[in-house]
Amino acid sequence: MQSSLGLDDLELWLEEGYPQSVRTAYLILGNRLDAEDAVQEAFLRAWKFRHSLSKETSFKPWLYRVVVNTCNSKLRKEVPHRDRRSAEEELETLETRDLVPERIALANDVTSALKDLPAHLRIVVVLRYYADLSEREIAIAIDRKQGTVKSRLNEARRQLAQHPALRLEESNISNYDQEVTG
Amino acid sequence: MIDEDQLGAAIRGAASEFEISKDAKNRIVSEARQGDGEQRRIPIPEYLRHQSRGLQFLSIAAVIIVLAAISIPLFRGEISPAKNKVAVSGAGFLRPVTLNSTGLVVSGAVTSPQKTATGQLGVAPTSTSATSNGAATLSPKIESTGSVDLTVKKGQVNSSLTKLGGLATGDGGFVLSTQANARSHAIGSFSSGTIVLEVPQHDFTRFVSQVQRVGHATSILTSSSDVTSQYVNLQARISALNASRQQYLAIMARATSISGILAVQNQLDAIQSQIEQYQGQLNVLNHATTFGTLTVALSQSGAPVHVTHHRSGLSKAWHDGVSGFISGFEWLIRLAGPVLFAVLFLGFVLVAGRWTRRAVRRRRL
Repeated sequence: MQSSLGLDDLELWLEEGYPQSVRTAYLILGNRLDAEDAVQEAFLRAWKFRHSLSKETSFKPWLYRVVVNTCNSKLRKEVPHRDRRSAEEELETLETRDLVPERIALANDVTSALKDLPAHLRIVVVLRYYADLSEREIAIAIDRKQGTVKSRLNEARRQLAQHPALRLEESNISNYDQEVTG
Repeated sequence: MIDEDQLGAAIRGAASEFEISKDAKNRIVSEARQGDGEQRRIPIPEYLRHQSRGLQFLSIAAVIIVLAAISIPLFRGEISPAKNKVAVSGAGFLRPVTLNSTGLVVSGAVTSPQKTATGQLGVAPTSTSATSNGAATLSPKIESTGSVDLTVKKGQVNSSLTKLGGLATGDGGFVLSTQANARSHAIGSFSSGTIVLEVPQHDFTRFVSQVQRVGHATSILTSSSDVTSQYVNLQARISALNASRQQYLAIMARATSISGILAVQNQLDAIQSQIEQYQGQLNVLNHATTFGTLTVALSQSGAPVHVTHHRSGLSKAWHDGVSGFISGFEWLIRLAGPVLFAVLFLGFVLVAGRWTRRAVRRRRL
């Protein structure tokens, strides 16, 4: 049990995990404000129930589990019942920064393709390709078997490959990939 | 299929296209600091928290089974304390009445008026020993029923029915119902019939032997039961209620306020209703013990009779085998019901246990 943790540890958690958690939640929820809201709630919940983090448990999947649970709860209860920010609004936010139009367009396409995935598939894709969790860690994070994670990832990849936005932008993706890794 | 590296890069790119507010971290830390003061854990019982999943599941299943075992008999009325209470008490259907200067205050059990030291009109339990004593002198009350299957000669079903009716009326009884059946190709002539006779109780046994002589008896079944205790019980209740009724009438004569009169009237109505109810039961019992009921089923001889042949050797083995196969099949069908129930129940418990476990784990995080 980790009940002896102090607020310094929380600050360390935030330093290491907050930005990535917000971006993960953004990809799951499709809205920046909802994402920040969910992650703040998730960190507070994680802190409140820090006793459930045993020494044997890895911190990363444990934290992502709290984040995913909070996102799921938001998807179930809050997000469907209120007006979400439009894609244009998100675009405006992006355009305020000095970015090249191609990157903005690609980001929008990826976000739109992710939004079209069912939530259970979107979550595993985001945890795998953004949060960089292994299948075993994803299984812990979503409280499912590893086989389920594997089949969900396959299904998600299949659906993404057929998504019109990503098919049209395949060349852009490869260009962008070079840009990011370079 | 999409290239995984490219997909990962695109997703990372899409996620990194906005700034993250920096004051959020400070807000979380300050809220966590406040929350620490009032932190509480989800109250999961200690014995459950340290058990394995299997044991947790077994505990939940055991609780459900125990609850089902308790509740099912209760719903079916097998364990009903109220029933037993009614059966043994037979009293307690009235409330005691006290009269004061303002009128009547109602509360209590079977009573008789009695002046108390304070000047109020009190009540005391009425003894039913006088009526109970009557049971000692009461002759036994016996209820008899029976059925006789008779075979008569061909074409004699009508005349036998008439003869049986005549026997009953001759003995002081009567015919309760008659039913005769004719075959389609023999209009006007009945092939079988049933007659229900009510005959005086004291002559019942003699009457059954008379009936046997009308034809050839193939089956006789008679039964008798002693209902003296029920009879005495009903009589005692009626007597007690009548006594209470008289007492309430006396109280009513002394009541001065309208509310008092109305209260006593309510009690009187309730008593009257109970008296009538018990009287009705007593009448039914009286009739059942005065007359015995005999059902006679008539059929004419020549009707197909099932004859059992003694088999031996291969034939017997073959028939035993077929019979065993059918028995086994019947047994399987009989077993299928409880097994299906058990499977459904276990499935339900599994799903509920799984759902509960997930809910508990979610609540922990």
